Amino acid sequence: MICFERVVARYPRASRAAVDDISFAVPPAQITAVVGPNGSGKSTLVRALLGMLPLVSGTIRVEGLDSATRDRRAFARRVAVVTQRESLVFPMPVREYVALGRYPHEGSWHAAGVEDARAVDDAVTLAGILPFALRSTEELSGGEWQRVRIARALAQAAPALVLDEPTTFLDIAHEMAMFELFTRLARGGTAVLLVSHQLNLVARFADRIVLLHQGRVAAAGTPNEVMRAAVLEPVYDWPLVVTRDPAVGAPALLPLRGSSH
Amino acid sequence: MKRPIFWVLAVAMLAVLMILGVSWGTVPLTPRAVLAALAGHGDRNAIEIVRALRLPRVALAALVGAGLGVSGAALQGSLRNALAEPYLLGVSGGAAVGAVIGVALGFSSAIALPLFAFAGAAAAIATAILIARAAGGRADPRVLLMAGVIIGAFANAAIMVVLSGAPANTMRSALWWMMGSAAAADWPQVAWLAGYTVLAGGALLWFSRDIDILALGEESATALGVDAERAGRRVFLVSSLLAAATVAAAGLVGFVGLVVPHLVRAAGIRRHRALLPGAALAGASLVVLADLVARVAHPPAELPLGAVTALVGVPFFLVQLRRLS
Amino acid sequence: MASSAFVLWRALAHGHLLPGTVPFVRCARAVPVLALCVVACRAASPRRDAVSADDFGEPVARGSAATPSRIVSLMPATTELLFAIGAGPRVVGRTPWDLWSDSARRVADVGVGLRPNIEAVLARRPDLVLLYATGENRAAAQALRAAGVAVIALRIDRVEDFRRAARLIGMATGDSARAAAVVDSVDRTLARVRSRTAGLPRPTVFWHVWDAPIITIARGSFLDELLTIAGGRNIYEDLSQPSPQVSLEDIVRRDPDVILAGPDGAARIRASATWRSVRAVREGHVLVVDTSLIGHPSVRMGEAATVLAHLLHPAVVQ
Repeated sequence: MICFERVVARYPRASRAAVDDISFAVPPAQITAVVGPNGSGKSTLVRALLGMLPLVSGTIRVEGLDSATRDRRAFARRVAVVTQRESLVFPMPVREYVALGRYPHEGSWHAAGVEDARAVDDAVTLAGILPFALRSTEELSGGEWQRVRIARALAQAAPALVLDEPTTFLDIAHEMAMFELFTRLARGGTAVLLVSHQLNLVARFADRIVLLHQGRVAAAGTPNEVMRAAVLEPVYDWPLVVTRDPAVGAPALLPLRGSSH
Repeated sequence: MKRPIFWVLAVAMLAVLMILGVSWGTVPLTPRAVLAALAGHGDRNAIEIVRALRLPRVALAALVGAGLGVSGAALQGSLRNALAEPYLLGVSGGAAVGAVIGVALGFSSAIALPLFAFAGAAAAIATAILIARAAGGRADPRVLLMAGVIIGAFANAAIMVVLSGAPANTMRSALWWMMGSAAAADWPQVAWLAGYTVLAGGALLWFSRDIDILALGEESATALGVDAERAGRRVFLVSSLLAAATVAAAGLVGFVGLVVPHLVRAAGIRRHRALLPGAALAGASLVVLADLVARVAHPPAELPLGAVTALVGVPFFLVQLRRLS
Repeated sequence: MASSAFVLWRALAHGHLLPGTVPFVRCARAVPVLALCVVACRAASPRRDAVSADDFGEPVARGSAATPSRIVSLMPATTELLFAIGAGPRVVGRTPWDLWSDSARRVADVGVGLRPNIEAVLARRPDLVLLYATGENRAAAQALRAAGVAVIALRIDRVEDFRRAARLIGMATGDSARAAAVVDSVDRTLARVRSRTAGLPRPTVFWHVWDAPIITIARGSFLDELLTIAGGRNIYEDLSQPSPQVSLEDIVRRDPDVILAGPDGAARIRASATWRSVRAVREGHVLVVDTSLIGHPSVRMGEAATVLAHLLHPAVVQ
């Protein structure tokens, strides 16, 4: 469970708060999606959660532990975060990279135990990267690398999972596979927080959607409640139509041409 | 390369090179004479050469190489930069300024000069960190690198100013020091550097898992539970101070800290818990070899140690160039 | 930075940064050798207004037509010579190291002799300039000649160079007789010292110039000659350079009986742990030499040889 309570955060030397009094919860066994236009504060929220941006006011708690805690490892045991981008300077075998996710659980001597090996195996299987688990990270395609990163987060075996734009470089097949994975994880009890641009996929897979606009919550609720033209158009400032696709059973967003505005 | 093979090779190579370093030198001695000298028998001069001159020198060279190798490996990992090296945070510039000032003030003995050099290096490191803080760079390695470059440039200028008006002997001593040499090695110095290297190297080994995580980047490291800024700063500090100690002992010996980690990584060693000791062994071998070359290349003169290690840089950068293109 | 330091060190080792003190060898020795031949030939057949050549190969005219009245000397060795041959009153410019007498001190300091400050030199309105003959001073020589000043470039490494320099300078200033007398006096003193030490046992000597890096005197330097005259034997007499760099190991192997060093050098040797490997240091045979006396081959060489002989053979030579 992740709780954002009246969170206000500002970048140094910025006049306006990037995140201005945001409150919402990410309950376990559900996928909560945070959506919004560029600059609405989505990634800022993730940075604030990580403790990389000090909060002006408000708190962020994961499983009851405040994000400002000094015990970073304890915090990492409660929430695994997959950031937008990551590149490795020094390549290593995929399995070794996934095993880095066990760091929050390692003792002082950092020796890998049986539990660690099992957690890594589970993560590799779950993320579907077994076919290339022994390859080097520098040989992976964009999509494979993305899944490997998610596997590392899974190896952390944390009850909460935060993903910031996890499907940016993925094709349709991989994207769908990812979202189905997130669903499986949520069914397994994980509290999944998903930051994404992909409104249609979010509408299909998320249990709750939080819509951000200029650092504030513009709307929050089920996909049916939030995915409405009346709600979305003012936020995205673009003409759209929301239909319901019978094949999928979820609201679908169709942006119109700008000239008809 | 299989792991066990690497370690066996590394230890064996270091042992062989150290033996060669004691057996060879400006003065040719037969193996029997060397052994006799080690045991304390035979020609008094041979005993002096082997025990009082060559042994401490080889020991010092090994320690300097180990220190630089470990420092370089730790910095490359924590700064996420394959071309990072121990002299980065202004260590070499600061140490050189300290040494030049020491020489100019008349403190050029084997005891005083290292102290001046170390003080200069420590001051430079502190200044680099302060500059980085003032520039607002939290754990951004680029800011630290920039600060180091700034200090290096300032140090160069300061050295030129001090040396331009200096008498000939001052200039000669200062320049000789700046080019690195294990010639003034004696046992007290070896003992001091050994203690220091074990302490600092041990600390870095303790941090080795943190360095593995830091190598992923600030965000990922933070996500895994590492305080990136604190851990990064700890590693910079200990690595730089270790490098400063080697500079105080033997002057500027470049390229070792840069090249050795790459060599060990090329042998398949990645995790810093193994990379750091591996770099220590490889670095020790490299500097012992360089010192040997410095002594036998052009007798009876000695080449500066830093010149020999600089030659190592040439093929290294050629290889890097090929990899890039 | 290491690379620029190395370049500077090379320059240092080749003597380009040590004006007025211990001269080092230059690569091309052809020119002065040629000049020596020319001088020898000319001396054999004296002619009216004969011309000799200096160490840059430039002609030196006899001072009959126009005796120089304002001379700038950019080397301590030549300053001493000028004063010794009685041309002292005509010296109007000297180097910062010419402090060996009050009359020398009173002369204006025009700066160092290596890459001299042409403006400062010309400000003294000289008609003759004595310059250190090294590659770096060629431009200065040209500039001075272009300004209409006579230039004699000299390189005084060995005793014979001193004799030749004295002859050339005497010729140029019109004091040939006095110059010959000075050379004779020095030669006589050297001969006297040589005969005093002739039959004595020769201690092997290591001459310490500096120890970071270790630099010593070898066959190419006049100090080696003085050492031999004074009854000693340089352990590095087999090397031909004037001041080569050597290693401590090699010194230990060559096992000198005695070490000669300046006061600074002697202190450093005695304080160093590694120098104790040398027997001479352990046995306390480190002798201090007054470096001002042996800085360059000049009129006081005789005195220098005497001092050295006394150091090496205290019982015999006073």
